[in-house]
Amino acid sequence: MADPTRPERPAPAARVGRPLLDASPEVAANREANLALAADLRARLASARRGGPDEARRRHLERGKLLPRERVERLLDPGTAFLELAPLAATGLYDDEVPGAGIITGVGRIAGRTCVVVANDATVKGGTYYPMTVKKHLRAQEVAMTNRLACVYLVDSGGAFLPRQDEVFPDRDHFGRIFFNQARLSGVGVAQIAGVLGSCTAGGAYVPAMSDEVVIVREQGTIFLGGPPLVRAATGEVVTAEELGGAELHATRSGVVDHLADDDAEALATIRAIVATLPEDPAPAWSREPSEPPAFDPEELYGVVPARTRTRYDVREVIARLVDRSELLEFKPDYGTTLVTGFARLHGHPVGLVANNGVLFSESALKGAHFVELCDRRRVPLVFLQNISGFMVGREYEAEGIAKHGAKMVTAVACANVPKLTVVIGGSFGAGNYSMCGRAYSPRFLWMWPNARISVMGGDQAASVLSTVRRDALERRATPWSPEEEAAYQESIRVQFDEQGEPYYSTARLWDDGVIDPVETRTVLGLALAACAGAPIEPTAYGVFRM
Amino acid sequence: MFRRVLIANRGEVAVRIAATLRAMGVSVAALYSDADRGARHVRDADVAAYLGPSPAPESYLDLNAVLDAAERVGADALHPGYGFLSENPDFAEACRARGIAFIGPSPSAMRAMADKVEAKARVSRAGVPTLPGLALAGEDEASLRAAAEAVGFPLVIKPSAGGGGKGMHVVEDLEGLARTVPVAAREARAAFGDPRLFVERFLGRTRHVEVQVLGDAYGHLVHLGERECTLQRRHQKVIEESPTTGLAPGLREALLNSALEAARAVDYESLGTVEFLVPVEGGDEYYFIEMNTRLQVEHPVTECVTGLDLVEEQVRVAAGEPLRLSQADVTLTGHAIEARLYAEDPGRTFLPTSGRVTHVQFPQRPGVRVDSWIERGTEVSTHYDPLLAKVVAHGSDRAEALGRLEASLRATRVAGLTTNLAYLRRLLARPEVVEGRLDTGLLDRVTDEVVREAAAGADRPLAAVVYALALGERPAAPGADPVWAAMGAWRPGGVVESVVRVVAGGAELEVSVRGSADDAEVSVRAPGEDEPLFGPRRVRTRLEPAGEGATGHLVEVDGFSRHAVTVWGPAGCEVWIDGEVTLVASVAPGARGRASREPGSAADLVSPLPGTVAELRCGAGDAVREGDVLLVVEAMKMEYPIVAPGDARVGAVLVAPGDPVASGARLVELEPLEGSAEP
Repeated sequence: MADPTRPERPAPAARVGRPLLDASPEVAANREANLALAADLRARLASARRGGPDEARRRHLERGKLLPRERVERLLDPGTAFLELAPLAATGLYDDEVPGAGIITGVGRIAGRTCVVVANDATVKGGTYYPMTVKKHLRAQEVAMTNRLACVYLVDSGGAFLPRQDEVFPDRDHFGRIFFNQARLSGVGVAQIAGVLGSCTAGGAYVPAMSDEVVIVREQGTIFLGGPPLVRAATGEVVTAEELGGAELHATRSGVVDHLADDDAEALATIRAIVATLPEDPAPAWSREPSEPPAFDPEELYGVVPARTRTRYDVREVIARLVDRSELLEFKPDYGTTLVTGFARLHGHPVGLVANNGVLFSESALKGAHFVELCDRRRVPLVFLQNISGFMVGREYEAEGIAKHGAKMVTAVACANVPKLTVVIGGSFGAGNYSMCGRAYSPRFLWMWPNARISVMGGDQAASVLSTVRRDALERRATPWSPEEEAAYQESIRVQFDEQGEPYYSTARLWDDGVIDPVETRTVLGLALAACAGAPIEPTAYGVFRM
Repeated sequence: MFRRVLIANRGEVAVRIAATLRAMGVSVAALYSDADRGARHVRDADVAAYLGPSPAPESYLDLNAVLDAAERVGADALHPGYGFLSENPDFAEACRARGIAFIGPSPSAMRAMADKVEAKARVSRAGVPTLPGLALAGEDEASLRAAAEAVGFPLVIKPSAGGGGKGMHVVEDLEGLARTVPVAAREARAAFGDPRLFVERFLGRTRHVEVQVLGDAYGHLVHLGERECTLQRRHQKVIEESPTTGLAPGLREALLNSALEAARAVDYESLGTVEFLVPVEGGDEYYFIEMNTRLQVEHPVTECVTGLDLVEEQVRVAAGEPLRLSQADVTLTGHAIEARLYAEDPGRTFLPTSGRVTHVQFPQRPGVRVDSWIERGTEVSTHYDPLLAKVVAHGSDRAEALGRLEASLRATRVAGLTTNLAYLRRLLARPEVVEGRLDTGLLDRVTDEVVREAAAGADRPLAAVVYALALGERPAAPGADPVWAAMGAWRPGGVVESVVRVVAGGAELEVSVRGSADDAEVSVRAPGEDEPLFGPRRVRTRLEPAGEGATGHLVEVDGFSRHAVTVWGPAGCEVWIDGEVTLVASVAPGARGRASREPGSAADLVSPLPGTVAELRCGAGDAVREGDVLLVVEAMKMEYPIVAPGDARVGAVLVAPGDPVASGARLVELEPLEGSAEP
């Protein structure tokens, strides 16, 4: 719709993308494969969303509590999105008994304010903290810190999972870090609000105690450093949980909590009322226009993305199905063509796209470094679409200094302070991962598509490299190595790399913020940009670019 | 012509008069009180003078303050509007004394008509029928018989000092008169401090018909047709129209002539209205009631059918010009009906309401005129008349005028305070009104029913649906990104159902929404009920303009589109659908939780801090009400009243005056009241 108050768009941003040839067998094959991957993802999400076993859920409800997902639903503004983080965390870990790592985290709107929500799932092992639970909780706090989003903790947890205390207690990024973060977050003005909807035992007691404002539910929430069994063991005092750390005690005597609620629903309403007293979301650090849909239906991504990762295709076909009006103002379209860079709008936000379109050469790296600097200087958020087998190798390339050119792009990406969002839409291998803002480069968010693969190199290359090294070593010791043995060895390497390169292996370990359906990428990026938009952008200081 | 006219009024009439003065090229001066600083009528004026505090006696009714203001603004004439000082002959005289022309009749004509008894006598001498009546000389039989003979039965007994229908009794015969007079006298003394009574012929069902007259200083006098003002609620006009319909043959002409006679009897030389009562079944009977020596609220209906600007004519004759038209020039074209939009709450016995107008929309369409003074942000107080606007429709006949008026009221929105809008629309749809079977008692007979219909008129479930879908459109901070609501309740993997819990028009409802405002599947249930009140149905909304302060929504339900408008305010969201408004707000579940806690029903009262019992105000067994002070504890030089948290009976009193008490020490035991049915 024309807006007379805005000057006409001056930029000759060109529409990218071409209509999908539905009839082509390739497209049909792509669709079939990608739809199967999406269906598998949805099934996994649905399974994780159920939380703990039926018996645990039944007991939870019998206590008059709301299930954790219902709590989150009632906390959020109705009819608004929830950018859930790592819903498939801990998949395949801990005998697969800790779906979602027993904790729900994400970014959503409460009373019109964008907030980070952290909700324990007491139906999963009593809401205790496994190593991945801790990691997921800390990741949510990191999101809150980098994006300056208030935190709401819905606490219902038995504390650290004791059998694995060595993996959750002592180290820097273990349990204690939660409270360190609360103090620091509060210190920079990021509100910390807790609802005590169940147990907060031992270290867990510090979640409410470290919060700015706390609500507790009568005859349901408890807070104590040592529970009744520990007290009895330590001092011989016999005391009930309610006497030791119940709601009445903390609201009227200890002052550990600020508000009493009769049930979950009232507690959540009180939290909403508290959030309503927080400052409203600031205006974005950049200009936001009204959102307009892409000219091409994002649903067509199923037909665009090749069924086999190794098949090359034009990444502009992906961009055309992500950005507003499918318009992209390309930067250096004729230089370093294996990297596509350009400006676009996504749900109205300006974005600078950095998308792989083949292996990285020196020129591509220089172009990428230049473009990242441009976006950073102009406060345009960066979106990396990773599909990278790595930098070009070989004598010629080493000689022209591809290492130092790659280093320039890595430096630019590492130092740029503008929000960076990364989606792994295909392969993420080797140094390509670094220059394309992998997890180590602290993008504000990072997601993977179900077809994505991530490892230091491909399974075949790894098998070949490792067997070469091994054969050389064996030959030096004059030990025979039969071709069958070598093949078996190679196969074992391949299997290991393939398994560890799977997106679900990655997301289980919080290497990413979730595996997402390609069709939902535009939504996810739009929400992420909204989540990033309010945080001040620090001035950038670049490291030395090796020339 | 005058150079500058001071409008000694406020609200819609001041705005309306200013419009004519401006059109005439006359400078406009206005007045304002504290409450009206910056009001529409002040902004419409070239200059304005501050009068004083908000209460009318200290501002618009303060004769000297108004006159001083007239001098301050340099006015050579003053228009009093209606109400306030408009019928005060002393004021008119004082204006003249200061050399300021009073736009109205001569003080002597005003004075003659202000005294209701003298007015009746004067017009009666001129041959105008007046209602037989007289003051009761005493309660003896001779006085009663004399009264009965003079007035005739049935007659109505009224307190001389009264008004507004209070203390009136209708009697059928002499025996009834004798029996009722002592009762009425006692009532009159109780109500007005004056036992004197007045008897008047009782007419049964009547119509209120009035005639607009206009005269000049040269003896010219014309009538401008009549108005039917029969639809009154407790003597307050609600709907007025011109001309009348269904009067007995010849009656209309007789009325018009009598009006001219009445005006002539006092040498009337301005704009005025002569009011008559016409018995519904009285053949050619009619009776003069009174003459209003000013512009009337309902003058626009006459303007519509005559095509004249009455204020302009009124100003011209006041400036000494002769009438510009003769009786033959006056023709009535079509039919006009006016509805008065008041700031009052029909659901609460029409008590005046107040508040800040958050959004206002009047229709702008052919044949419809709106006289109003409110706009977005106007603070409506209870200091003055609650009239917000007059919506006037003009049509070729009564049916067309009624249709236009009804449609205009349907398109009218005043948000931020309660009004009689829904009541007016229901009223216009009554068969008695549509068919013109009117009498002055009609509204008082049907109002309860009309109010009930109006209260039940809104489609609450649909209003709740609109509210739930509009949540994302709520005015938000500049940082609030619309993307959060763009897809509805999106979660990784798809959109889930979202439940919005609301109170809509007082009813608790749960709205389940799957999808976003532009395409969603929606159902509405009462809490705990399985059977939906609405849906599940496909609802798509699109935004449309709706005026300042409001958002318009084109709401499509199963292929049927209608308009809804949302206006957000502190108490929630007003959802307007098809002329009906429903206040919708999200439920705070906490409210219910707290209410269930019956404050102090049987709780004991404790001392809030260490101190001494300074005073004991209750004893064991006392029934106490919520808020009663039961005792006072003194501590740190401060007195702390200990208050009953609810209605209860005092059990044991555990302390005596002078006792030291510790913090948390029990002071008084309270027990629940047995049988809480006590009034």
